[in-house]
Amino acid sequence: MLDVEFHHVSKMYRIRKDNHPTGFYDRVVHAVRPPSTVFWALQDVSFSVERGEALGIIGQNGAGKSTVLKLLSNITTPSSGEIRIRGRIALLLEVGSGFHPELTGRENVFLSGSILGMRRAEIARKMELIIDFAEIRDFIDVPVKRYSSGMYVRLGFAIAAHLEADILLLDEVLAVGDAAFQRKCLERAADMRRAGKTIIFISHDLRAVEQLCDRVILMSHGEIVTDGLPEDVIHSYHQQTLQLVQ
Amino acid sequence: MALNSVAFGEPTRRTKVLTAPSFSVGAIVRHAIELFAYRDLLYTLTLHRFSVRYKQSLLGPAWAVVQPLSLMAIYTIIFSLFTRIPTNGLPYAVFVYSALLLWTFFSTAVTTSANSLVSHTQLISKVYFPREILPITYVNAALVDLLIASLILGCLMAYYRVHVTSNLLYVIPIVLLAVVFTTAASLLVAAIQVRFRDIGLAMPLLLQLWMFASPVVYPLSAVPPRFKAVYLLNPMAGIIEDFRRALLQGAAPEPGTLRNAIIISCIALPLAYAWFKNREATMVDVI
Repeated sequence: MLDVEFHHVSKMYRIRKDNHPTGFYDRVVHAVRPPSTVFWALQDVSFSVERGEALGIIGQNGAGKSTVLKLLSNITTPSSGEIRIRGRIALLLEVGSGFHPELTGRENVFLSGSILGMRRAEIARKMELIIDFAEIRDFIDVPVKRYSSGMYVRLGFAIAAHLEADILLLDEVLAVGDAAFQRKCLERAADMRRAGKTIIFISHDLRAVEQLCDRVILMSHGEIVTDGLPEDVIHSYHQQTLQLVQ
Repeated sequence: MALNSVAFGEPTRRTKVLTAPSFSVGAIVRHAIELFAYRDLLYTLTLHRFSVRYKQSLLGPAWAVVQPLSLMAIYTIIFSLFTRIPTNGLPYAVFVYSALLLWTFFSTAVTTSANSLVSHTQLISKVYFPREILPITYVNAALVDLLIASLILGCLMAYYRVHVTSNLLYVIPIVLLAVVFTTAASLLVAAIQVRFRDIGLAMPLLLQLWMFASPVVYPLSAVPPRFKAVYLLNPMAGIIEDFRRALLQGAAPEPGTLRNAIIISCIALPLAYAWFKNREATMVDVI
């Protein structure tokens, strides 16, 4: 059973040139049809993820990893091709981005949880679990603008980690927070894997990728270069990096 | 974006198909179904509008009344003291306040919606949810303001002993119609603002002109008959006039005045929604 399928997916961005014409007529033409160059962030990318599989995606900056993530989480749509997703996706990308500083932790759990697609009843039921996971019981009724950045991240992750999802999308989130919390996050991801969830992990942290994933895709310039076992792919990634350095 | 949900294998898992955006009736229906699935977010964010707006404010929700009430005061002074505008025998204060109630709802909703997407760039570039929820929460918030402000209207009507008949009930469908038209306008300006910030800049002027093109400070009967057909192309004209008729004169709406408003609103909403969803697909790339 395939949980995620990419069929010949391409994503094109128009990069606008920021020259500012002066005359009114030129400005109107400029606004309606801005001079732009076309940039293909993804070109004809096809891959699929089996149910219960943990897939890592690695690559240099600008390789197209973030575009894959944005497409998977439906933040933007492909220019051509088709993506099929079977089940509910939980996204752990820059946790806490749905927080409002003036609201308390508890209010933000409702806000952020609803943004992530949880029902209010579901959030209320999980509130205690979330507070415990985030380890901020004493501060849950304090506005989050008074939180330390660590507390902020912990609460954000705790909400996302309690989503009832079939597919888990992990970004560099794990890079924030202290070592103990990072370990906790990875453990949580491993737990979800054992529970049969599908995981897609996009990261620069090769050690974490190797630890968590059973298959890795290496991307470069919007295309898939290698697809295979973690140690093999990470090896070719190292070689690619070496070539770039030399 | 084309978002296709079909049951697949297990009953609990749905397959989502993401492709390049396209226009179709089926797509609009699917978007509406998806919006319904997110109703809790709509509720939470609407509450959020209030809890944030009134943080560190003394008067709190009373601010909902301040705008129509102060406009009422100034217009009443000008149009019943300095110069007289015929009001079919109604006290000018209650005449203008009833119209200002609906007008304030419309203009507040459209103005705040215009910035709804741009001011949430952080959020919409990080996580997906149906983006129309943002402008709609501002329409909802304006609607709650309308309900709060109508408490004052009740007091004014009691004070001036306005005779009320069962035709008062027409107010409910008329307000609904106003909500439909306002939502359409809000979706439209919100989506345009993402690409062209001019719309937000033009909004105050545009709304001021629009208010004087609607029977707010004067009655519809003051419009010369030969202009009436053109005048009633403005849906807010029929809506405001018939709202006031039902409320203050105990009369049923005139089909002639409301017809345009109904036709335009019912066409505008699905069109604006379809266009909004089409823009939404790549909104993040241009915002």
